[in-house]
Parts: sequence; structure tokens; C-alpha cells
Amino acid sequence: MGTDKNKINILYLDDEENNLTSFKASFRREFKVFTTTSASEAVQILTENDIHVVISDQKMPNISGVEFFELIIPDFPDPIRMLLTGYADIEAVIDSINKGQVYRYISKPWNEQELRITINNAFELFDSKRQLQLKNQELEKAYNELEKLVYSASHDLRAPLVSILGILKLARAEGVDGAAKEYLAMIEKTVGKLDLFVQNLINYHQNMKNGQLLANVNFDLIFDEIITNYRHFDGANEVRFIKDIKADGDFNLDEMRLKMVLNNFISNAVKFRDRTKPDPFIKLNVETEADNIVITCEDNGIGIEKELIPRIYDMFYRITEDNNGSGIGLYIAKEAAERMGGSIEVESNIGSGSKFVIIIPKN
Amino acid sequence: MSKELQIILVDDNDIDIVVNSKLLKLANFSQNISSFNSGRDVIDFLGDSESQITDKQNILLLDIQMPIMGGFECLDKIMELSPAIQESLMVFMLSSSIDRNDIERAEKNPAVLKVLEKPLDVYLLKRLVEANA
Repeated sequence: MGTDKNKINILYLDDEENNLTSFKASFRREFKVFTTTSASEAVQILTENDIHVVISDQKMPNISGVEFFELIIPDFPDPIRMLLTGYADIEAVIDSINKGQVYRYISKPWNEQELRITINNAFELFDSKRQLQLKNQELEKAYNELEKLVYSASHDLRAPLVSILGILKLARAEGVDGAAKEYLAMIEKTVGKLDLFVQNLINYHQNMKNGQLLANVNFDLIFDEIITNYRHFDGANEVRFIKDIKADGDFNLDEMRLKMVLNNFISNAVKFRDRTKPDPFIKLNVETEADNIVITCEDNGIGIEKELIPRIYDMFYRITEDNNGSGIGLYIAKEAAERMGGSIEVESNIGSGSKFVIIIPKN
Repeated sequence: MSKELQIILVDDNDIDIVVNSKLLKLANFSQNISSFNSGRDVIDFLGDSESQITDKQNILLLDIQMPIMGGFECLDKIMELSPAIQESLMVFMLSSSIDRNDIERAEKNPAVLKVLEKPLDVYLLKRLVEANA
């Protein structure tokens, strides 16, 4: 819909023909003026033309100006509405603002110069609103396309990675010896790193979606699943896993998001284990307290410096140089926890280890 | 479980079929494994060999992303097969990356026990099968 700045389309509804005539006489050269004494004809004009500004008299025999505005707002929300009245009718003013959502209130008889300025201002508002709408539509389209691209790219990337990981898993299960074993371990480590990044991309994307997908959660099974995933990754076999589940009953939780969080806790704990300690461990603990489920991942790893703790959730923030993470993991974990209605807490001491906790409401 | 276990793999990716069937055999889950490259083939197989299906406990591992007939569409076709066939099936959907929409879809379908992520965790599958036996 092209809006020509020089041709402002105005619709003017009034039961007094004289007003319509004098309005037309004053403004027809600068604006394209549509006039009518009938509300139904006014609706017709709105339907057939791209009207920018609607002016209506308040006091009319069959319908008031405010009522007319209320009537047209659902179908024609965009034109700027202005109410014309000869009375200092405070009731009408209040209604016109609250129900008729009018832009200006014009008192009769109007001052031609003032009205001209008002109409031009109204059109400017109309035009900027329309521009904004167009920009919003463009932005939304660009966002949707980007989302689709991230979605399909990450899924298409992961499928072949998963096949490679499967082959490596099989090679390990069938047994490989010597140098080949070493090389396969290196491939696995590298592919694992790439896979982690792709998974984070997918998780980030999935997290953006609203709503929770609740399922009955079996903590023991989830822990085992994640531990198995990391078992063969870069030194995880040196780590002793301890599970302590003290939560009875059924818990309906968003399993996908819970896994995002726990995956993160556990992979970090493996990554930042203290290689100088004889018995690196990761202790996974589930407890219930009042209305919450509290899941703790505690390790005796290298720990985090006090000053750095507030920054660990920042997107792409990495606390060490020697680990090739992307720094997006805890950002995603925090986001996932919050979308479950919960939160993440951390306690850490350099040299003695870290404790990551997720607290989720039971229902 | 009294009935013999039969595993039916449906995946358009041959490598995944080889890897998964070998992993299942190595884990001694079952030696009886059939595999199909498309949804159509498995529908034909199930429909044509009803007696060989219904006397077994079948674990159907169905890949979600397949050309022509995807996993969920294949599942709809399975729902049109005889009740005896349907009762003999335990269905798991497989995907290289789990999508929330897929989980929602799977949850609406009572025949699907779970959406599993590739590469297949045989140990997890075993526990899920035992829990649902």
C-alpha cells in the first residue's frame, strides 16, 4: 500500500451537511477528502479506500462519534481517529480517549489553520506507525528465516556426526588394539568436541521455545544416560561417579531441559577435574525440600576463582584458555533452568572443587 | 519376557543400520534383527508377515527423519494395521537431534514409548524395554 505524502486520505463523518461542505471546501485541494452523513457509508468508504485519518462528529442522531470509533477499531485499527464536538462534554472526552482511542479532540467551530496542522500531525503518526509495522514484519521474516536456518543446519550437521560416533562406539565395543585404538580415541575426542558445539546450538534453539514438555522423570536413568555419554570422553574414565537419589515419587519435569542442565554440569565437572588428585569424583545428588527438587553435582575438581563466578553464565564467556569449549554451556543451562521455573546456584573454591545446584519446583 | 525378542530397525542411513544392529548384537540384546531402509518397506513387512510378528515381542526403532515417509507418517500407517500386530510392538523413535515438536508428537501417540537420541544407547534401551515389559 503506497502512501503518498501529498495525498492524505481523510474520512469525515458528520450528520450536518453544512459542516461536511465547509470542510471539503477548506481542505479538498491538499487532502483527498471523503465525507458522509451515514456511519454505514463511512464503513463502506473505509473498506474501499486506504484511509489515513478519520474525523467524526460526536453528537449524531443514530450513533455517537465514540460509538462509531468503537465499531470500526476491530477492522480498521490503523487510521488515526479524531473526535469533533461542539460541547464541552467531559463525558465524551473521557469516552473518546478510553473507548474510541482518539488521537485528538477538536472543538467546533474549528480553526482551519489549527485543524490543518492537526491533520498533518495525525498523518505523520499514521505514517510512522505504518513504517514501524513494515519494519516489524521484515524483522519477523528475517528472524523466522534465521531460525529455520539454524534449525536445519544444526540438524543436518549432527546426523553425520552421530553416524561417526556410532561407528567409533562399535569399534570400541568390538575391540581395537595398538595404534589404531589410540587414533580412534583421538577421532572420538575431536568429533565429540564438534558434536558438543552442534548440540549446544540445537539446545540454544530448542530453549527459545516456550512451554514445558513434562514427562515422568527417572533420575537414575537420566544420570546413567549422561554418564554413559561422557564415559569415553577425554579422561572421564578416571572419574568416579557417585549417585545418591533421595527423592521418592513421581516427578513430572521437562526432561529435555533437565538433561541440558545436567549434561552441562557433568561435562564441566569432567573437563575441570583436578588431574593432580588421586581420586577425582563427581557426586550426583537428588533431594526434595518443601516444594522443590534439588539436584546437586559436586566435584573435587580445580574449582573456580571467586571473582569469576558471577561471569560464568555469560554467553561465550570462558574461564580457561586450555579448554576448547565455546563458553555457551552454562548460559544455556541457566536459561533452561529458568524456563523450568527453577534456578541454578554455584559454590566453588579454587583447589577444592565446585558444587552446581539446580532447584526446580515439583509441579 | 516369555516371547522371543525381535528388533526391527528402520533407518534410511545404512551406516546407522549397521552400527545399531551390531551394537545390539554385541550387547546380547537380541540376535534377531531385521532392518529396513524406508517406512514403506517396514509397513509391507509387518502387513505381509503377521504370524511371524505377533508371536514375538517386537522392538521397533523408527528413525524420524527419512525421505518419502518419515517416522511419524510411518507410525500412522502402523496404526492402520491389525490390533494384534500393534500389540506386539514396542515403538521407540530415533533421531540424531531431538526436537521439542517431535517429543510433543510422540507423547500424543500412545504407541511410542520414548524418543531416543542417536547414537543408540543400548543399555538405556534395555532398561526402558524392561521397565515397559
